[in-house]
Amino acid sequence: MARNVLSGIPVSNGMAIGRAFFLNRGMGTAVARRSVPEEEVEHEIARLSDAVAAAGEDLDSVRRKVPKDLREQAAILDSHLMILKDNKLVSSAQKYIREKEINAEWALEKAVYDIRQAFDSIDDEYIRQRIQDVDLVAFRVQNKLMGGKDSISSISTRVILLAHDLSPADTIELEVDKIMAFATTLGGKTSHAGIMARSLQIPAVVAVEGLEEYIEDGELIVLDGLHGRIIISPTEKELAHYSDLKYQFEAYQGTISRCCHLPAETRDGYQVKVLANIELFEEVAAVIDSGGEGIGLYRTEYSYLNRERLPEEDELFEEYRDLASIMYPNNVVIRTLDLGSDKIASFVQPIEEANPAMGLRAIRFCQKYPDIFRTQLRAILRASIVGNVSIMFPMISGLQELQEVKETFAQVRRELKSEGKNFDAEMSVGIMIELPGAVLIADILAREVDFFSIGTNDLIQYSLGIDRTNKHVSYLYQPLHPAVLRSIKHVVDAGHEAGIDVSLCGELASDPFCIPILLGMQIDSLSLTPQAIPGIKRLLRQTTMEECKPLLRRIVRNSTVAESNKLVRELILNRFPEEVMFFSSLVED
Amino acid sequence: MEEESKTREVILRNKWGLHARPAAKLAQEAQKFDSDIKLGFDGREVDAKSILDVLTLAASGGTRLQIVAAGSDAERALAHLSGLFESRFEEDS
Repeated sequence: MARNVLSGIPVSNGMAIGRAFFLNRGMGTAVARRSVPEEEVEHEIARLSDAVAAAGEDLDSVRRKVPKDLREQAAILDSHLMILKDNKLVSSAQKYIREKEINAEWALEKAVYDIRQAFDSIDDEYIRQRIQDVDLVAFRVQNKLMGGKDSISSISTRVILLAHDLSPADTIELEVDKIMAFATTLGGKTSHAGIMARSLQIPAVVAVEGLEEYIEDGELIVLDGLHGRIIISPTEKELAHYSDLKYQFEAYQGTISRCCHLPAETRDGYQVKVLANIELFEEVAAVIDSGGEGIGLYRTEYSYLNRERLPEEDELFEEYRDLASIMYPNNVVIRTLDLGSDKIASFVQPIEEANPAMGLRAIRFCQKYPDIFRTQLRAILRASIVGNVSIMFPMISGLQELQEVKETFAQVRRELKSEGKNFDAEMSVGIMIELPGAVLIADILAREVDFFSIGTNDLIQYSLGIDRTNKHVSYLYQPLHPAVLRSIKHVVDAGHEAGIDVSLCGELASDPFCIPILLGMQIDSLSLTPQAIPGIKRLLRQTTMEECKPLLRRIVRNSTVAESNKLVRELILNRFPEEVMFFSSLVED
Repeated sequence: MEEESKTREVILRNKWGLHARPAAKLAQEAQKFDSDIKLGFDGREVDAKSILDVLTLAASGGTRLQIVAAGSDAERALAHLSGLFESRFEEDS
């Protein structure tokens, strides 16, 4: 019996009910292979040429639609156009048709196979991966050969898009008026497709097992972006249930987004800043739409990943400058590179690390490769003149390390000054507090910086010794563990003692069950995914410091997670039952 | 018509080697000439007009390559293409 429900990782909230539409269906599967009689060889070659021409036209039209600032995507499409015209692909396929007297599909497949052989033996990972571009180009041609119309541009009615994977080039073509939602077989929580879905505000589920196996093209499906589920050919009852849920969700979204631009102030007048965590410039629109009062965490890694080479200073500068000027007068906190050497292995000396999470990454990596670090520091500083920019260093473990980083920063400032380049001399400097060691010496570190931002995702993992992606121990990843709560409180108190602001930028900031506790600690700002901002703001606006403070006092006396979980669940479920229906929480039942 | 081929040795000065962008540029420029143009590296010889061929050489920065051209505009092709290598394919790094 076919499975009725498939599950995956929810990456963008919402609900959609509609017809399935497969993009690139059959990619990687066998094509029809047949011999052709000699007299049809010329016809077969012409068929191939027509398909290549048609694929070229499609690529050209997508290429023309790429906005100027998406240089990487433009470069990818340019290289696809070149591959399409390459003798190695088309001429070689033509030769196969002529010599082997086989159909165009088979010949093209053979040509790609030959190219793959050549690429497989290449040591350079980046170049070896370019075979994927050849696959994508060949697929476009195969698709034309088979009379396929399954490109995004050919969709006429609104559908739920399903695909093996969505490349950045595919996502350029995503148009909200045609696509209600999408799901992919590949992908993870942080994949590019998820980011695009959130910025387009359409529901999406990735890493769906059995997606291509169990769903038929055109079949009616329900995509539940809240729980990460797809229901295939729903029954009347299921359909009623999900239509109801969809209606409620949309009504709720409407309510929260109507008040998302109001300040995040409790009923008794305590204000918290609600900021956004983002990693792509394109997400800015979502930040502004959702009522974000600034960017509390700009992750800068994206410009360094899947690249042919390291970004130039000017390229980074333009990215940061555009971000700063669009958010002005609101603040943008730019976090310096938080990568391990494994992520950009082609640019640096590869090293063997038994435990990369505790290895050469983040600020340690930057200190080891000062050229990479300085380029970024220069770009951030230069961007600071057009807006309200702060800089933040990740993974600081001690005072001496922090002082060394600050010295590098000071040197770069002097360098820029001597070159006559302008920057904001008053720029705020902050650090991430994500190591238990940094928590314990927060009072010492606080004297050196303008703000703290508590990175709870890492802090919880390092404090409890839990790798949350390890399913054997992830049950011990507990945000309300007394050690975690004491750590957060300790950092907030140490920061306030020294007169600096303390922000929190982990997933806890978007967890409704944790908000009253953080409020009770008098956290200054919360930084979270743009999608969660309206809901959290509404929750903040309905609560009072008067109820959060006693809650915190009771929570800190608890010695087990279970007691604390029960307390916050009671408060939230009694006070804000309608608010938690569409939230997912890290706090267990 | 058998034409005598002309060879010129060049040094790849790009930091990251013959990666996608320089490879694309080289193939694009080579396509502008009528001559048959090959690129030799590490005992292999490939079609310089094919981006895929050039990529599969996976030539890294600092290595020597040979451009071999045969045809009516071979001399001009060699001059133009070796100029690309010298200018690091107009990349700044």
